[in-house]
Amino acid sequence: MSNPILLVAAREFRQIAATRSFWITLLILPFALAIGPLASHFMEKPHTETVMLIDRSGQAVPAIAERIELEHQRQVLQSLSRYSESHDLDRADPKAAWARHDHYYSDAEVKAFVAAGGARRAEAAMRRVAAPDTKPFDEPEADYRIVPPSPALAASGPADIARTLPGLVSPSRKDHGAEPLDYAVYIPADFARGGTPVQVWSDGAVAGQLMGVLQDTLTRAMRLHFLEVQGVRPETANAAQLIAPMIAVNRPSPGEGHEQVIIRSILPLLVSYLLLMSLMLSGSWMLQGTVEERSNKLLETVLACVSPNQLMYGKLIGTVAVGLTMVAVWVACAIGAAFATQGMIADFLRPALAPLSQPSVAIAMIYYFFAGYIMISMIFLTIGAMSDSMRDAQSYLSPVMLVIAMPFAIIAQAVLRDSSSLGVRIMSWIPIYTPFTMLARLGAGVPLWEVIGCAVTLAAFIAIEVVMLGRVFRASLLGSGSKPNLARIGRLMRGRESE
Amino acid sequence: MTALLLDQVTKDFGDKRAVDDLSFAVGDGEVFGFLGGNGAGKTTSLRMVLDIIRPTSGRIEILGRRPGRENSGDLGFLPEERGLYRTMTALETITYFGRLKGMTRGDARAEGKTLLDRFGLGSSANTKIEKLSKGMAQKVQLAAAVVNAPRLLILDEPFSGLDPVNQGLLEDEIRRLSRQGSTIVFSTHVMQHAERLCDRLLLLAEGRKAFEGTQDEARATLPARLMLTSRETPMGLPGVASVAQLGGNDGWSDWDVRLETGGDPGDLLLACTERRFALRRFEQSRPSLHDVFIHIVGGEEGQA
Repeated sequence: MSNPILLVAAREFRQIAATRSFWITLLILPFALAIGPLASHFMEKPHTETVMLIDRSGQAVPAIAERIELEHQRQVLQSLSRYSESHDLDRADPKAAWARHDHYYSDAEVKAFVAAGGARRAEAAMRRVAAPDTKPFDEPEADYRIVPPSPALAASGPADIARTLPGLVSPSRKDHGAEPLDYAVYIPADFARGGTPVQVWSDGAVAGQLMGVLQDTLTRAMRLHFLEVQGVRPETANAAQLIAPMIAVNRPSPGEGHEQVIIRSILPLLVSYLLLMSLMLSGSWMLQGTVEERSNKLLETVLACVSPNQLMYGKLIGTVAVGLTMVAVWVACAIGAAFATQGMIADFLRPALAPLSQPSVAIAMIYYFFAGYIMISMIFLTIGAMSDSMRDAQSYLSPVMLVIAMPFAIIAQAVLRDSSSLGVRIMSWIPIYTPFTMLARLGAGVPLWEVIGCAVTLAAFIAIEVVMLGRVFRASLLGSGSKPNLARIGRLMRGRESE
Repeated sequence: MTALLLDQVTKDFGDKRAVDDLSFAVGDGEVFGFLGGNGAGKTTSLRMVLDIIRPTSGRIEILGRRPGRENSGDLGFLPEERGLYRTMTALETITYFGRLKGMTRGDARAEGKTLLDRFGLGSSANTKIEKLSKGMAQKVQLAAAVVNAPRLLILDEPFSGLDPVNQGLLEDEIRRLSRQGSTIVFSTHVMQHAERLCDRLLLLAEGRKAFEGTQDEARATLPARLMLTSRETPMGLPGVASVAQLGGNDGWSDWDVRLETGGDPGDLLLACTERRFALRRFEQSRPSLHDVFIHIVGGEEGQA
């Protein structure tokens, strides 16, 4: 390799790669990938919440327990239905409840499902027709578990209960190693007659689902009592409780509709974010290198051997190589993690990688990534050439960073909400935001004319940028004294001042 | 063959003219001194030679070619303001600059090692620049400048900032390269170095050429000065511009005699002999380059 541009690029790469901050940054993502699941495992709150029921009526607890179990089994049935649809397993038992997907399962259907053997039986049937590498069905955790009160508490009077129960659900109880209790419910003997109110204690907001279960179960008991008082026969009153509408649910298949937009946008958004992150890092390292060359009076020696343009292109290539190396390592680690886990991440990655199966989208992503890198690196490079110290550089850099990075969060949110909204489309045509916006939008689908139009506009902008900032770069390399103000930068860009 | 040619070269920075209609030529194998005060245009001229900046007008030829990076394989350059990549080792630095000048990696490393050994830095070849002393780093810079055995070596104020040991080392290296046939152009405002090294020199004042020629020709621009001891005043002898009596004894007087510009002391001695002008002392005082510099450049610039 004797091309001066490549020699400069290689030196730039080696210099950055020799820094501690490069390695820390490079390894931080794999470290986060490794430690993330562990940390979330330790920090995750157990999903199942505990409920203590003190029932003076003698009838409510069995009904509430049955209701909680029924709701859990409804969830299991829904998940099973989703699982069957995702893995194309309906043929295992086309008449089974879980083979119906456009449906809200009634209580009777859920009870029939449980009576027929529940999830275990259904999964056994599915396994017979499933491909060998189909991941097993992951049954959702129950939302609530009923905890029996101590005999003393169960026998105590309302006043004692009102005194004791708040302490049982307080966080301090958990801190002292006692069994955690999320909710305590006191049901007085005369609740069905509308006498003493039912009381619920919690150490925070009460989950709507639990309130729904309590409300539904206790309301049924009250209505039953009311009907019986009105002379309705108990069998008739019970039958009335079972009347429920059939509700059909129309939704896209798993991984389609808005869900599809979100999943397919994840990878492009991630690429967009990686572009921004690696750009900021590698750009600032390159900037430090250029400032060092200026402050160390190195440039004259270098410029005797390579032209300013060769130096500029070499630095750009070196920086792009650093950024791409970081991205390549991060992507390799993510893929490694996906293969290693084989579970959730792989299932998530497969649809997320779907946009790459279209060559045009893959090519567009690579183009916008490279173009974005060159466009922003050129700005960093010019700032480095104008600055004698990092403090000098900071005064140029802060506003530039603000302009480049600030809209990113807005773009990401806007793309997930509606990738073809007017605001997002306008951002796509502003060259400095084109790479980020287009990368973020590509997953959700962008008309070809827009992809090409934005790409051409971006290429033209970069060409003009390289010419104009190249003038500033060359003029600033050997300059000394006070740093150029905006007016002078403008004159240099227009070529109205001698380089 | 002409190693370096500048023909009516002018360089303007905005309204300021840094170099004004400068023309000179440096022959192959010469050691050429480029002398001038601060701000005389030396660095600007050398940067134009190296194509770091372009002249406003005029023509430059290096080794028969136009200025450009294609010449870097034949050029060596040591700038006035020097620096190195702090995190590179001494050998990496020399190898890097060797490769930028078109050398292969192997050749650049081999020559780098030879130079470091010669400069007494063999054991520091793999030491990072930031760990070297200033003197050691200066040697590495010199090695990086000459690693390609340049046909034309350009040194901009090479002795500034060097301790006496490194000044001696640099002078030795210049002589060594000169013996090997390299052409050397160096700028300086320290006349002693120029006196010891230069075959020819050019004096630059406010961007314009004030003088070009050999050291003898430079000295000849100053009126010759003699110390005479005679019975009579030498005033009136042909070529004598002024005399000053310094003292006397036993009828003999000491005189400080200045000849007219261009006057030859030999002609004065001949005139004394022909006129039977009695002399007990005839001593020619040789002007230094410093005197010449002050005489030609004069004023504030000469004092710089």
